[in-house]
Amino acid sequence: MKILVLVKNVPEAAEADLEVDSKSGTLETGDLVYSINEWDNYALEEAVRLKESRGGEVTVLTLGDEEAEDVLRRGLAMGADRAVHLLDEAFEGSDPRTVAKAVARAVQGQGFDLILAGVQSSDLAQAQTGVLLAQELDLPFATLAVGLEIREGRAEVTRELEANTLERVELPLPALVTIQSGINQPRYVSIMGIRKVRRMTVDLRDCRALGLTEEEVGPGCSFVQERRLLQPPAGQGATMLEGSLPEACRTLAGIIKDRGGL
Amino acid sequence: MIPGREYFWSIDHPELFYLFALAALVSFGRGVWLKIRPWLAAPRGLRPLEPARTAVILLRDGLLGARIFKTGPGSGLLHLLLLWGFLGLFLGTVLISADHYLFRFLFGPTYLLFSWSMEVLGLMLLAGVVWALARRYLAGEARLERDRAGLLVPAWLGLAGLSGFLVEGGRLAGLSPPGGGWSFAGGLVARLWASPEAAQGAYPFLWWGHALISLGLIAGLPFTRLFHALAAPVSLALQGQFLDRALDRALERAQGPAEGDEEERAGEAGGLDLLELVHLEACTRCGRCQEVCPAALAGEPLSPRTFLQALKAEREGLPEGGWCCTTCRACLQVCPVAAAPLGLVRTVRSRIVEEGASVPPRLMEGLERLYKYDNPWLAKKGGKTAWTRGLPFPVPDRPLEEEGEWLFFVGCTTGLETRAQGLARALALILHDRGVPFSTLGKREPCCGDVARQVGEVGLWEVQREQTLDLLEKGGLGNLVCSSPHCLDSFRKVYPGTLGGRDLKAVHYSQLLARLVDQGRLEFKEGLDLKLTFHDPCYLARHNRIVEEPRRVLRAIPGVELREMADSGLKTLCCGGGGGRMWHEPEGQASPGLAQRRLAQAAEAGAEAVVTACPLCLIMLEDARKTGGFEERLKVVDLAELAARALGLDIEEDKEGGG
Repeated sequence: MKILVLVKNVPEAAEADLEVDSKSGTLETGDLVYSINEWDNYALEEAVRLKESRGGEVTVLTLGDEEAEDVLRRGLAMGADRAVHLLDEAFEGSDPRTVAKAVARAVQGQGFDLILAGVQSSDLAQAQTGVLLAQELDLPFATLAVGLEIREGRAEVTRELEANTLERVELPLPALVTIQSGINQPRYVSIMGIRKVRRMTVDLRDCRALGLTEEEVGPGCSFVQERRLLQPPAGQGATMLEGSLPEACRTLAGIIKDRGGL
Repeated sequence: MIPGREYFWSIDHPELFYLFALAALVSFGRGVWLKIRPWLAAPRGLRPLEPARTAVILLRDGLLGARIFKTGPGSGLLHLLLLWGFLGLFLGTVLISADHYLFRFLFGPTYLLFSWSMEVLGLMLLAGVVWALARRYLAGEARLERDRAGLLVPAWLGLAGLSGFLVEGGRLAGLSPPGGGWSFAGGLVARLWASPEAAQGAYPFLWWGHALISLGLIAGLPFTRLFHALAAPVSLALQGQFLDRALDRALERAQGPAEGDEEERAGEAGGLDLLELVHLEACTRCGRCQEVCPAALAGEPLSPRTFLQALKAEREGLPEGGWCCTTCRACLQVCPVAAAPLGLVRTVRSRIVEEGASVPPRLMEGLERLYKYDNPWLAKKGGKTAWTRGLPFPVPDRPLEEEGEWLFFVGCTTGLETRAQGLARALALILHDRGVPFSTLGKREPCCGDVARQVGEVGLWEVQREQTLDLLEKGGLGNLVCSSPHCLDSFRKVYPGTLGGRDLKAVHYSQLLARLVDQGRLEFKEGLDLKLTFHDPCYLARHNRIVEEPRRVLRAIPGVELREMADSGLKTLCCGGGGGRMWHEPEGQASPGLAQRRLAQAAEAGAEAVVTACPLCLIMLEDARKTGGFEERLKVVDLAELAARALGLDIEEDKEGGG
């Protein structure tokens, strides 16, 4: 079985103090650390497990800047067999539809039985690239998968719905499935593991290699254009406590007492 | 008639004996070959042995069993009876053969002395066997396993000894040789027979019985637990070898071009190297490690002995409790054959981490953070100066300028964890106040790699070590004072001794404080009316043998009464924070359990405060104080905090004592 997994290099946002440059409206990335998008990690693990149990081949693909090669290397260390990097400055500023178009060009006619993607990316959270790629390739798709079984040329997907309900759907292969977090427990990727795949090559493709002109990608041809990032205005009623820990604790205890909390 | 041995008396077909002897030797040789073939195929990576030192070790720890005597005179004596009885009788048999085939020297007084010695050796062996069986199966010593397989070797040795006396008795009864009285025990056995003829009739059966039992012992030795007699001396001779085997192999890989070859060899040996395979074979299952393992004592699912034996039986996977090990080193210290699981735990962890699929989720998160943030505390890169907040002077972070200046390597935990930051502040205050020139790496301070080392993330350890070395070399920094015994151990054991032509030296802050006390530069004006006890951090005491310096500082403080806990100094009891356990919870662990046991010891010693000198111990003990109901009875203080207070320096009182 030939499986393709889409991965994205994203800044770790959950535990960082994000700062938006108020003039340009872009994220200050200096202190940020980048790694594989959480959902993509689950998708990759699912693909590698399918390969381990049924045989086949896993290709990992990203569209991103040079740094994004790290997530491909990580994918190879995790068990992928091939890596494809769509790298071109012209891609900068593309919306999900344009990204899907570029990926479709790279994937078309490669004979993938199954394409997996994360439900969404943790940075921009549009949750579109996967389904738009299915559209481009004219493939059946299912989203929000928390379970995936392959049986006789069909994918049985368990989808996570609201209010603790699940839906089971079946679709013929080839198909595209977007993977929800928690579908599995992704394995650890050690530095030694990454080092061991250093001799594997990454297949680099730019616009031209995909048969696209620079005008066919990027913000110019995107429907949706990002204007700026904003931080919500500070609300009322929050007090930041200053000073050392014991001082802060004393102040806090005082506040709780004053407002009748004790 | 001159006393001497009559060979093959009443024995028909002595040639059959040679056939059996040959078979026994073949079996022995084959068994030994099967055992050591994987040793020879495994990667080595050993430091060269010094012949003189090795000879001393083999004599002291092998023939004299010094490491066994450490657990008490009884164990030591018991083992000597068995070892010397066995070896002596074996040597006696060799001498008899030499007398028979080479040249005759066992006659007259020499023979009588020989006979007498063999009597004594036989009795020693039998006494040892009876003692051993009684200790194991009757007295039921807790650390010993009472399995049936354990009966085999002592029973066999006992039969060999008993049958030997029967043969001798039969010969004495049948021949009444001159000087027979020297064989005093054999003489008693000879009374079993009413007449010389009766003895002669029984003799061939006894002789063949003894011969077959003894030859069988030789034939079976490599296949029984008696194989430790060959493996243990090898393990003992190799004691003191570098125990971070996986790290060593990684460094070798990074240097040498023989990568593929070495990896293949390691693969054949199940990922273990020569030293580790020897350790697996040398283990006698005596259980001393079990008795001192802090995790086992706290009821966690780790048993060092079972861990090692499980690894011996099955090279794949991580035996139970592998993540519970705090790497405290207690098992290695008590191991009579210098084997113990400490090194094996690290090696197997590194394999599990490299394979990735069965790394516990909490640890996985911890390692990913460690990689991304370069510290295990989830602090942003560059957040390492947080501890300096509130100090009345700017903490320098410039390159060292003068000779004798110290680089204060703050460390991740001391720099970032709220409770432990008190240590860093107190030490900086003391150094500043006493005019001891020092600098820090400020925001650039990297993680030294110890957490990665302990949990087996060898690749990450290499990366962190490289970047630390790089930073130290660029700054020309080599004179380190560490707050954490774990950083200290890293710098001492897994960093090069020189860097860019300078010595790379690391001391612990307790050593620096002791030096200042010795130089009269720490005058403790404020007496502290306190009954204290000192909790030795494992990586300070057990790993680096630093036990006197922190006590010297404490004794210099007027009014302090230093009391020792039941386990102290080199035999300290682990707080449970080592081995990477601070950052993940191994399955089934009772983490506060370890530190609570420790605080119970402190309370028993009548102490009002427990002083320690390690950020991890400080956090663990402080937690245990709160969760274990010790809040009213005990305070937990860091050595530098206490010293600063006694110097009358203004440290935040609330920090100390866990306010």
